Amino acid sequence: MIPRPSGKIDQDFFVVARDIKYTYEGGIEALKGINLRIKKGEFIAIVGGNGSGKTTLAKSLNGLLRPTAGSVDVAGRPAATMTVAELARFVGYAFQNPDHQLFSGTVEEEVRFGPKNLGMPDGEVKKQVEHAIVLMGLDGCRSSQPLSLTLGLRRKVSIASVIAMDPQVILLDEPTTGLDGREMSDLMSCVRALNEEGHTIILITHDMRLVAQHAKRVLVMAGGRVVLDSDPAGVFSDLEILQSSKLEPPPVTVLAHRLAEFGIPLDIATPEQLVEQVMALLGGKR
Amino acid sequence: MTGFVDLYTEGNTFLHRMDPRVKILGVLFLSALALIVANLYDLLLLLALILVLLAIGRATLRKMFYALKLVLRVMVLIVILWPFFNPVGEPVLFHYGIIKITEPGIVNGITVAVRIACLASVWYILMFTTAQRDLVRALVKMGLRFDFGLALSIALRFLPTFGAMVESIKDAQRARGMEFDKGSIFKRSKNYVAVLVPTIVSALRTADTLSLALQSRAYGARRDRTYLRDPAMRPTDYVALALFGLALALPAFAKYVLQIHI
Repeated sequence: MIPRPSGKIDQDFFVVARDIKYTYEGGIEALKGINLRIKKGEFIAIVGGNGSGKTTLAKSLNGLLRPTAGSVDVAGRPAATMTVAELARFVGYAFQNPDHQLFSGTVEEEVRFGPKNLGMPDGEVKKQVEHAIVLMGLDGCRSSQPLSLTLGLRRKVSIASVIAMDPQVILLDEPTTGLDGREMSDLMSCVRALNEEGHTIILITHDMRLVAQHAKRVLVMAGGRVVLDSDPAGVFSDLEILQSSKLEPPPVTVLAHRLAEFGIPLDIATPEQLVEQVMALLGGKR
Repeated sequence: MTGFVDLYTEGNTFLHRMDPRVKILGVLFLSALALIVANLYDLLLLLALILVLLAIGRATLRKMFYALKLVLRVMVLIVILWPFFNPVGEPVLFHYGIIKITEPGIVNGITVAVRIACLASVWYILMFTTAQRDLVRALVKMGLRFDFGLALSIALRFLPTFGAMVESIKDAQRARGMEFDKGSIFKRSKNYVAVLVPTIVSALRTADTLSLALQSRAYGARRDRTYLRDPAMRPTDYVALALFGLALALPAFAKYVLQIHI
């Protein structure tokens, strides 16, 4: 056994994963040794093709899967010593399909389920439920039947039901799948607000535009490993690693790479950045 | 709920090649035989025959044990409890107050347990060696309405899918702090609502989509559908059917016509 590093090094980090591996029954190695340190308040995107290990990694962080090797620390304690319910206080996980968790008669009841399970006192439950509903913009449908809402709203309810437990880290598994543009930007502004409140956001996604717009740190996964861990600029300047990880770079990034010979930098991720660079090249004239 | 396993094991034994209709009838005949035979030794012989057939069908011990786990529990219970409730005949082995245990009582218990083992394991001859789609095809060929056959094969096909879905739903609720094996009975049953409702809703949504998908592929457009594969009986299938038939007919004849005690 390698002795665990003393707490001091990891003190600043809320989640620490040390060389975690996960092998599914049947022998599929989904994680092949992942090291990860996450600070409070980060906005991380985990990207990678299907089967690259994104969801397995996420589930290892909240205890739904227990790594077959390596260790995870959450809030300074080994995750292995905590139950999933105990971990839920620290790491919330909103599943991809909201229909897999909605069951209550009203949105309010649905959101209350988590904090009540954690045994929060009634006053605190009320406060957290209120906060979650308002933050996710669900004020108008708090007494609606969750399953009768649109997919965009159902997903918001499922996220609200997780944040009502007030976890420091919020894992969102492909929260924008199946949403239209409006619903997507609406949802992401809620997620941003959560991040601004100090919550750590871990966003699992395929959508590189979403990453460009919101993430401050990107983990690119392929074949059960983290092949790149950097800020978005680092990811977008490396088209090869994106393509080898089965990811589609945003069109504006591809355009910037084509324009590289005119002096446009490679790490363009949003149209605004490109406009800025082009304007600078033109000397600020319109 | 990870217990949904397709028992079928691919192979190329004569049992695999046998027409599923013959297998269905054969299994029915052997089941009837297990009910006719009343003698413990004859039943053990029948069980041995069934196990030999299973072995020929390449059923591994692990799979057989998996399949018979539940039945084994029932068998043990019967062997233990039967003598208490059926204290017939002589010699009496134990007598105290209302509790009386006799040797025939014990033998009867064992006999019933072996009969149950026969009735359960004989069906595995069919399940281990017949793919679900062939089974359904055979049932349709034997006169089951195609709609029902399709419904049956869809149900079988979706068992693992729903198994995975239930797992995912349980995970989603566990991530919301729900604990399945803690709390009062009231709390636990409430917890099951949190799994049951999403399961039913997701199943209904799946069913809805599936029915649309079926209709968009012209399901039910014509009454007289044609079949890509039409199972046909081969000479060996007739021989097998005859053997299965004799296996039932001879003992039945011996018992009911010749009045031989078996």
